[in-house]
Amino acid sequence: MSEPRPTNPPEVIDDGLLDSAYTSLSRRRFLQAAGFTFVGAMVYGCARAPEEELLPLLEQPEGMVPGRADYYATTCGGCAAGCGILAKSRDGRPIKLEGNPEHPISKGGLCAVGQASLLGLYDSHRYRAPVRDGEESDWARVDAEIREHLDRFARSGAKVRYLSAVVNSPTKQRAIDDFLSRFRDARHVMYDPARGTAILDAYEETHGARVVPHIHLDRARIIVGFDADFLGTWISPVEFTRDYTAARRADRDGTTFSRHLQFESTLSITGAKADQRYRVAPSSRVAVLSQLAAAVARKAGRPYRRSENATDSLPQGLIEEVADELWVHRGESVVLCGADDLTAQLICNFINDALGNYGRTLDLDRPSFQVQGSEAQLEEVLGEIAAGKVDLLIVDGVNPLLDLPGKGAGAAELAKIRLIISFAQRPDESSALAHYICPDHHYLESWSDTEMVQGVVGFTQPLIRPLGDTRQVVETLAAWSGKERSARAQLQERWGTGRQWEQRLHNGFVKKSAASFRVGGFRTAPVFAARAEKFSRGDGFELVLYTKAGMPNAGHAFNPWLHELPDPITKAVWDNYARLSPAAAERIGLSQGDVVSISLPTGESVELPVLVQAGQHDNVVAVAMGYGAEASRRFESMGPSWIEKKPTVGDNGLVGVSATPLVVRGSSGRRFSGTQVRLHATGRKSELALTQDYQSIDVPAHLAPASGARRPNIQESTVAALAVSESSHSAPHHKGDLWPEDHEYTGHHWGMTIDLTACTGCGGCVVACQVENNVPVVGKDEVRRNREMHWIRIDRYFSGSGDDLTVAHQPMMCHQCDNAPCETVCPVLATVHSEEGLNEQIYNRCVGTRYCMNNCPYKVRRFNWFEYSRDDAYENLTLNPDVTVRSRGVMEKCSFCAQRIHEAKAEARRGGRPLADGDIRTACQQSCPAQAIVFGDMNDAQSEVAASISSRRHYRVLEEINVKPSVGYLQLVRNREDGEGRDHHDG
Amino acid sequence: MKHSILTLVLAVAAFFSVAILLAQGEGAHILWNRQGYAPEQPIAFSHRLHAGELQVDCQYCHWAAEKSRHAGVPATSVCMNCHRFVSAPLGAVRAEDAAATEAGRKPQPVVSPEIQKIYDALGLDASLNVDPHREKKPIRWVKIHRVPAYVRFDHRSHVSVGVSCASCHGAVETMERVRQVESLSMGWCVNCHRRLNASGLAGRPVRASLDCVACHY
Repeated sequence: MSEPRPTNPPEVIDDGLLDSAYTSLSRRRFLQAAGFTFVGAMVYGCARAPEEELLPLLEQPEGMVPGRADYYATTCGGCAAGCGILAKSRDGRPIKLEGNPEHPISKGGLCAVGQASLLGLYDSHRYRAPVRDGEESDWARVDAEIREHLDRFARSGAKVRYLSAVVNSPTKQRAIDDFLSRFRDARHVMYDPARGTAILDAYEETHGARVVPHIHLDRARIIVGFDADFLGTWISPVEFTRDYTAARRADRDGTTFSRHLQFESTLSITGAKADQRYRVAPSSRVAVLSQLAAAVARKAGRPYRRSENATDSLPQGLIEEVADELWVHRGESVVLCGADDLTAQLICNFINDALGNYGRTLDLDRPSFQVQGSEAQLEEVLGEIAAGKVDLLIVDGVNPLLDLPGKGAGAAELAKIRLIISFAQRPDESSALAHYICPDHHYLESWSDTEMVQGVVGFTQPLIRPLGDTRQVVETLAAWSGKERSARAQLQERWGTGRQWEQRLHNGFVKKSAASFRVGGFRTAPVFAARAEKFSRGDGFELVLYTKAGMPNAGHAFNPWLHELPDPITKAVWDNYARLSPAAAERIGLSQGDVVSISLPTGESVELPVLVQAGQHDNVVAVAMGYGAEASRRFESMGPSWIEKKPTVGDNGLVGVSATPLVVRGSSGRRFSGTQVRLHATGRKSELALTQDYQSIDVPAHLAPASGARRPNIQESTVAALAVSESSHSAPHHKGDLWPEDHEYTGHHWGMTIDLTACTGCGGCVVACQVENNVPVVGKDEVRRNREMHWIRIDRYFSGSGDDLTVAHQPMMCHQCDNAPCETVCPVLATVHSEEGLNEQIYNRCVGTRYCMNNCPYKVRRFNWFEYSRDDAYENLTLNPDVTVRSRGVMEKCSFCAQRIHEAKAEARRGGRPLADGDIRTACQQSCPAQAIVFGDMNDAQSEVAASISSRRHYRVLEEINVKPSVGYLQLVRNREDGEGRDHHDG
Repeated sequence: MKHSILTLVLAVAAFFSVAILLAQGEGAHILWNRQGYAPEQPIAFSHRLHAGELQVDCQYCHWAAEKSRHAGVPATSVCMNCHRFVSAPLGAVRAEDAAATEAGRKPQPVVSPEIQKIYDALGLDASLNVDPHREKKPIRWVKIHRVPAYVRFDHRSHVSVGVSCASCHGAVETMERVRQVESLSMGWCVNCHRRLNASGLAGRPVRASLDCVACHY
C-alpha cells in the first residue's frame, strides 16, 4: 500500500543555496561531524572552570574558625520535654542538632521530632515581619497600635485571655504574668493540642498538687503501662527510653532486666517493646485497672471500694499474676496510665500508692513540669469565647481553630473577639483570623530557660541572629508592658551574670538545690468517689485518637522530614489513616486503602483510608491527630515533576485529614479515646504509601519446615534462656573468600552493632541520618514507588497475632560487607572497598546502572531517580557542607558517616594522638535515645564494638551468604517466662 | 565528492581544536584543570613581598590551615594588624618626609592606592577610624586553587603531618601574583600519596590513604 512518491520530497528542497553533497549527507555522517565539532567546542569551553570569588569576612569573629564546627548547648524546643541538645554550628549557622550527653534529663539522646526541629528555623514560609490586618507592617507601628488597644482594655476592665502551649520556662511565665497583671480580668490558659490534663487533675485530687511525678523507669523492676506510650509520645519519651533501656541491659546479670507489661487498645511503639501485651478497649480500661487495684489492695491489706462492670474485666487469674509481680517488686515497680480519663488516672495513683512507688520510682518531691494546663479552664475560656465575652485573645504557640473541637473555637466564634493577637511563627488556621501577628523567634534564635523537672533548668541560647524581623514573645510582652527589656536581660535577672552565667550557658543546664516541691499525703477518697466515665455501648467502634512518634501535633505539619519518616508501627508516610485490626477490617468487609467515613452520633465525620493493623483491639478504630493542617498545603507540588506524578497531598490539598472534629468534650475535658463511632464504606480508594508491605517474620505455613518457624533475620531470646545458655552463637562455616589477599585491614576496620533489645524503632536515627547526610525528601508518590531515599530503613516485623503478637524493629543500613556483592558488579568501579572495610560509594564516578542496588542482599542502596528539589534557598541552609549533595542518576547509601570518621581522624592527627574508641560517633548512634547503636574499630580488641561483637547475643543477618557484613545485631531479649521467645538460629 | 568535503570539515575542526588547546599555553588540559591560572586580583597583593621579602609566615594570615579543612582567606581585619601602621612603601614615606622637611611643613600621611582599598573595604576614614557613613564592602578575591564540589580536601590533615604549603601551592613567596602551579588533579594527589607512603615524610613513615573515600564522600 505505497503511496506515489512526491516528485519533490520536502526534505530535499533544491533552492540553490545548499550544495548537493550536503543535502545528500547521510544522517550517520552528519552526526559524526556534529559530534566531533561538539567535542571540540566542549574541550575549549570547559578547559577552565568558571571564575569564582572568595569573599573573606571583614572582621574576624573571635573563636570562629572557617570550616570548623562549634557546638553550643541549648534546649530542644520540639516539645515540652525540654531535652538538652548540642547544636552544631558551622560558619555561623546551625546545621545539626545532637543530644547533650551531660544533660540530666535526656542524657544524650534526641528523638526524630527534635532532630527535625532544625528545619523550622530555615522554613521559608515563616513570617518575616509583624503583620497587621493581613499586611506586613513594622514593629513600631504594630506596637504603638497594640499599646493603645491594651490601654483601653486595661481601663475598661476587658476580658483578656492568653491561650498558649505548655510553658515551663520560669522567665516566660513571669513575663506572661507581668503582662497580664495590668488587666483586671485576665487569664492564662495552656493546653496541649493532642493531650488532656486528666493526669494533673488526678494528682490534684490524690496529692493536692497539679503536677506529674518525675518517673524513673531505670529504678523500676516492673513497668505496667495502660495506654501510656512512654517510649514514643508520652511526656518525656527520650528520657524514658534511656531509663527504660538502662534497666534492660541483657548482657548484664539477667536478674536486673526489668519486666514490662502493656495494656493498650492500639499498637504503640511502647507496646511493641513490652514483654507481654494485652489488648484492652478504652471502655474496659477502668474496669481492668480497678481489677488490678483490688488485687493489689488485697495484698497490701488496704480497703478498695470500687466495683466496675464485670463484663469488661480480664480473666482474674491473669490480673492476679500481674498483681503478684507488682507486689513482689513493690517500691520498684511503676504503673503508668496515659489515658485522658480521670477515673483511670485516680485508680492508677491508688495502685502506685499501695505499692509504695511514690518517692521511689515516682518522684513527687521533684515533680515534672512537662505536662501543664487545665482542661476545665480551657473549657471555661471556650465557653466565654462562644458567648462572645472575650475582648482580647492572645494566641501563643497553639492553633485553636484547628486544635479545639466543637463549640468555642470555631471561626465564627473567634470572629466575635474584638482583638486577636497571634505569636505564630508561620501562617496557620488561627493566625489567618488574627488582627495582629507578632511572630515569635524560632528556639534556635531565642534566649530562654526550661524547668522540665523541679530543680533542673535547661537554657536556650541563640545560635544565629534572627533570620527575619521577628521578636521573642517575652520581649514583645515586655515592650507592651512598657518595660522594654531584652530576653537575655530577663534571663540574666533570674540566672545571674558573669562567670556563673557563662558556665551555666556552657553546660546548657543547671541543677538547683532549692527546696523540694511540697505535695500532700495520698488521699484515697477521690479514687472511690470518682465515677467511671459512661461509655455508650453499641455495635460500632470505639475511637482512639493517638499521636504518632513522628508528629506530636499539627504545629509540626510544615516539616517534610517528619512527614516522610515512616511511622514506627505502620510504616506509612505522608498520611493519617483509620487503623483497624485485621479481624475488624474483615468483619466490615474493608481492606487496606478503602476510604471509610468515621462518624460521631452527633454527625461530625471524617473520611480516611483504612490501614489494617495487627495487634489492635478488634473493636477499636485508631486515627492519628496532627494532620490536615493548613501548613501542609505547601506540599502541593512536593516531589519530582514528571508525567506520572501523583500529588503528595490529598483531595483536600493537605497532608492527611484533621481528626479534631472527632474529639468530643467529656467530663474530664477533651476525650481522645472511647467515643463510639460508626464506620461506613465510601466506596472510594486511596493508596497509602508504605515503606514496608511485608508484615510477618513467620515463615508461611506451606514453606515452613516446622510449625512456628521464623525467618532468622530477627533472633530472639528470653532473659531466662540467656541465663542458662553458655555457648556463643556459632557462625556458619564458609570456605574461601572472594578477596583473599586484597583486604587485610591492617589499620582500622569499622564495624557497627545494633542492640535489638534496646531499639524501639522510634526513628530518631532515620531523621538524624537524613539531616547529617543531606538525604532528600521525595514525596508520597515516590515512596509509593519504593523510591524513598532514607539511608536507614527500620524493618518492623510481627510474629503471632492478637495478645501474643510480638514486634521487632531492625534498623537496616549499608552493611559495609567485606565480600560486598555490590562492588563486584559495578562496571565503572564507582563502589569499591576501602582499606578500612568501608564500602565506598563514589558519586562522581557513578553512572547509575543500578546493578549494585539489584545485587545488594540487604536492599539498602538508594538511587536518585530525579534531581530532587533543592530550590528552597532557606531550606538549603541545613545542608551539611561536609557531605556531597548528590544529583540525578547517582547511587547513594550509608557511608558509616565517612565525614565523621574523617573529622575524628584529622583531629586526632592534629593533636598528635592515636584515634581513641568513641572519638567517632555516627549520626544515628549519637541520636539514639536507647543507645542501641555502637560503632567503632573491630580491630581494636578494647573497643566497645569489639566487646559487643563478642557478646553471645551477637549475630549477623544473612550470614549464610558469606558477604561478611560489618553490621551485626544483638538478639532481641524479652523478659517472658512462657518460652515465647524461641532461640531460632539453630532451627 | 561528499567524502572529501567531510574530510575537509573534520580536518579543519581537528586543526582548530588542537590550535585552541595549544593556545592555552601549557599544553592540553583535562577538564577543569587550571594549572597556570593567575587571575588579576582586586588588590595587587604581593606574596613575594609579604611571604618572601618580609618572611611573614603563611599561617599568620592563613591561620586556619592548621585547624580546619579550609586554610581561609584572612579577614580584612587581619590585614589591619600591620596596615594600621604601614600605609605605604617605606620609600614613599621617606620621600614625603624629605619633601616636607624641604618645604618646612609637617609630613602628610602617605597611603598607597592598593592599601587604600583595605581601608575602603572596612569603611575607615583618613585617620583610620570607622566612618559610619561609609559602606563596608568585602574584598572580592578571585579564587585560584579549587577542587570540584565532590572532593573534600582537608588542609588540617596535611599541615599537621608536615606537608609543606609549597608542595601543593608552589613557591608562593616568589610570586608577585599567585599562580596555580600544580594541576590539583586526582592523579597528581594520588601520586603524591603513593610517593609519601613509599618514602615517608621527613624521615617518618606516613600512611597517606589511597581510599576513594579519603576525599570523596
